[in-house]
Amino acid sequence: MLSEQLLDSNKPAIYGRYYMMTELKVHVRFLITISGILLLLVGCAGLFPEKDPHTIKLYLGAEPDTLNPITATDASSHAINLRIYETLVDRDYDTLEVIPMLAERWEISPDKMKFRFFLKKGVYWSDGIELTADDVVYSYKKIMDPKVASAQLKVYYIDIKSCRKINKYTIEFLYSRPYYLALIFCGGMPIVPRHIFDNGTDFNTHKNGRFPVGTGPYTFERWDTGRNITLVRNEGYRGKKAMIRRVVYKIIFDPSAAFQMLKKGDIDVMGLREIEWARQTGSERFNEHFYKLKYYLSTFSYVGWNEDRIFFKDRRVRLAMTLLINRRDIRDKLLFGLGEIVSGPFYIFGKSYDRDIKPWPYDPARAVRLLKQAGWVDHDGDGILDKDGKKFSFTFTISSGSRFAERLGSIMKEDLSKVGIQMDINRFEWAVFLQKIQSRNFDATALGWSDPDFQDDPYQIWHSSQIKGGSNYIGFSNKEADRIIEKTRLEFDEKIRIKMYHRFQEILHHEQPYTFLFTTPALVAVSRRFENVLVHTRGLNFLEWKVRKVQ
Amino acid sequence: MKKYIVKRTLLIFLTLFLITLLSYTIIRIAPGDYTTLKLGMEGALKAGSISQEILEQEKKLYGLDKPVIVGYAEWLAKFVRLDFGISRKDGRPVLTRIGEALPITLILNVISMIIIYIISIPMGIVSAVKKDKAFDRVSSLILFLLYSLPHFWIGLILLLYMASGEYLNLFPLGGIRSDWAAGAGFIPRLIDFCWHLVLPVITLTYGEFAFLARYTRANMLEVISQQYIMTARAKGLSNKRVIFIHAFRNSLIPLVTLMATLLPGLLGGTVIVESIFSIPGMGLLAYEAILSRDIPVIMAITTIAAILTLAGILAADLLYSLVDPRIRLEAKI
Repeated sequence: MLSEQLLDSNKPAIYGRYYMMTELKVHVRFLITISGILLLLVGCAGLFPEKDPHTIKLYLGAEPDTLNPITATDASSHAINLRIYETLVDRDYDTLEVIPMLAERWEISPDKMKFRFFLKKGVYWSDGIELTADDVVYSYKKIMDPKVASAQLKVYYIDIKSCRKINKYTIEFLYSRPYYLALIFCGGMPIVPRHIFDNGTDFNTHKNGRFPVGTGPYTFERWDTGRNITLVRNEGYRGKKAMIRRVVYKIIFDPSAAFQMLKKGDIDVMGLREIEWARQTGSERFNEHFYKLKYYLSTFSYVGWNEDRIFFKDRRVRLAMTLLINRRDIRDKLLFGLGEIVSGPFYIFGKSYDRDIKPWPYDPARAVRLLKQAGWVDHDGDGILDKDGKKFSFTFTISSGSRFAERLGSIMKEDLSKVGIQMDINRFEWAVFLQKIQSRNFDATALGWSDPDFQDDPYQIWHSSQIKGGSNYIGFSNKEADRIIEKTRLEFDEKIRIKMYHRFQEILHHEQPYTFLFTTPALVAVSRRFENVLVHTRGLNFLEWKVRKVQ
Repeated sequence: MKKYIVKRTLLIFLTLFLITLLSYTIIRIAPGDYTTLKLGMEGALKAGSISQEILEQEKKLYGLDKPVIVGYAEWLAKFVRLDFGISRKDGRPVLTRIGEALPITLILNVISMIIIYIISIPMGIVSAVKKDKAFDRVSSLILFLLYSLPHFWIGLILLLYMASGEYLNLFPLGGIRSDWAAGAGFIPRLIDFCWHLVLPVITLTYGEFAFLARYTRANMLEVISQQYIMTARAKGLSNKRVIFIHAFRNSLIPLVTLMATLLPGLLGGTVIVESIFSIPGMGLLAYEAILSRDIPVIMAITTIAAILTLAGILAADLLYSLVDPRIRLEAKI
């Protein structure tokens, strides 16, 4: 399912960072005098013990809430739990095919309603107890338990009628209706150890949320609140052992400080921002020490037009807006040219995306013609278009944390004013912003969607049933699109599904409920201390990395 | 005097009650709540009407379905038993979380305040004595220059030039202890800790001299113009004695008012400094709690800050009567 992400929301709105500061070398001398006094303290810098080459240090921009995979919702805990906990099935890092993980095989009934998983024998929790069907059934029951704070997972499993144990190593999920993602959903359900959690205490605040016990390639070692979370290699792991023995997740709140740590070698892997990629990592020294990796995941940014508003009800006006936004220019200016302009919501390098549908060009002349056709002309000569006495003046609602949306807004404002459209920018704190969007109390907004598991299902964002209370907050409603969405959910033949998705993308391209902007690449710097750093469809996987031998 | 203290204490309870009631009401009626935010970020819970039920179910877990006044009453009932509840974020007791964040903030603030007082009070006195001379002008110019430099900028400059290794590599890039320190002895650990504090303390102090120095200078000038100073001079006392024995002590009286802000100030962290230097202190704790609408944490911090502020004000008033016998405290308020 798709998850919403604010464009660069995790980045604080601090402008003018060190690229500005290179001109301030005069300060250095002054600072050295201060530091002279402190040299005594600094003497202890020599105490540094040798760094362990088999430890990898990863960057976390926020502290996880909990490491209980059933109640956790944030990205940090997902990243860590991925190494500690396992699920019944996994997906191949390149082909995205469903592959065995805790289950050695599975059977799907002909009506696609029953999913039977056969567990591998001899899988042990890191405390030495064997994993059995009871753990799986217990985990399902906990997820669906009204007293457990797992609403984010519950929605995935609404269609499961039952989950029962057949024998010690066999579990069966029964669905109430077929769905092509059912295997990935029930096979990807988090599984927690029953023997630890089922001790009569409250599940949400169970102490194991901070001392996880899993079956995965790494086991939990310690959590220093606000500082580090450390994992060590699970020496009893049944699969191929990773070469990296210890993983330290460093919690660093300020991305600029984190970037300095990366350069100093205190962090081995870190996602870079566009400006860092383009301007601050070009030095020979940096490239001697780091790989710079660029790859695309399934994400896109967009400007959404609320179809309840009189301006954006009309398809011609929405299309005109798209034609008025110079996306190529915006990408080159704001994103340093990093990113692809998209024409639909699917992963641009995936099968569901139809590359033959080219994004609309930048064409203000045609936009003006379209606006005229739709009745928007400057009748009273005040420089602003109007229709039936109503001026074309709307508000662009953004979250105050997003620098991208802020700068995008200023460019749009200027370009739109040239053709007589008045746009104001309104910024809100994230919680308030979210409420405005969810209650559909906005004219236009800029946001991004990401589909981390490449599931493609457009239901959540585009089905007309999702206008009220769902993610279709722009109010897109199209009968053919609805039909396609409903049909594809029941279609298990990928080829037919892809064909239908291509048609769906065509409808979106024609209707322009969103002005699709860009899919931006993940930009990652990885220390050259590691070898075999491969880029897969799903991204990077440090389990396969080798530690370079130190001469 | 006793009567006065009793009355003031009763008033503190009333004020505290109103402060907490107001804070609770504001958080509850502010847009967004913990559950919606948590799931809104994740976005998964937007799949229509069935999930609306799940959302309501989850809100119930946190008591968000209850009216504001009932919620407040429940909070109050726990608070009088000194139970601040469980943090929504990680399910741990709020006091545990505050207990983790407070020591580092306290240490940073105490060190910073000592430095600020040690530097700015003498500077203020000298400025007053040498009023309008070069020292007075230059020092106030420098102090105001420092005062106007933004924290995030200085913090990042310090990191870049003194810790990143690109220019100098004297200090660590944030955090409060090195990875190796866990297993080390007490002395190396202490040195390591101090070593980590240098840059944050510089960032916290450089801008704060101006206020206190100017404040001291103004008080000092007022005292110097008093007649008893003239008397002291007429007696033939040395300038040093006049300034430090007679004038200085009296100029300190208005500083007592600063007591009121001192106590809560010790507890508060600054989000910017803590985030630049990756220090998990009170500032970040409060900031993050507010953003995620973690009501128990917000309430605990607000209440503690309110108690300290009120206690600070009371202490300042009492101290006044001690340092200046002319001030009498009456039970009439």
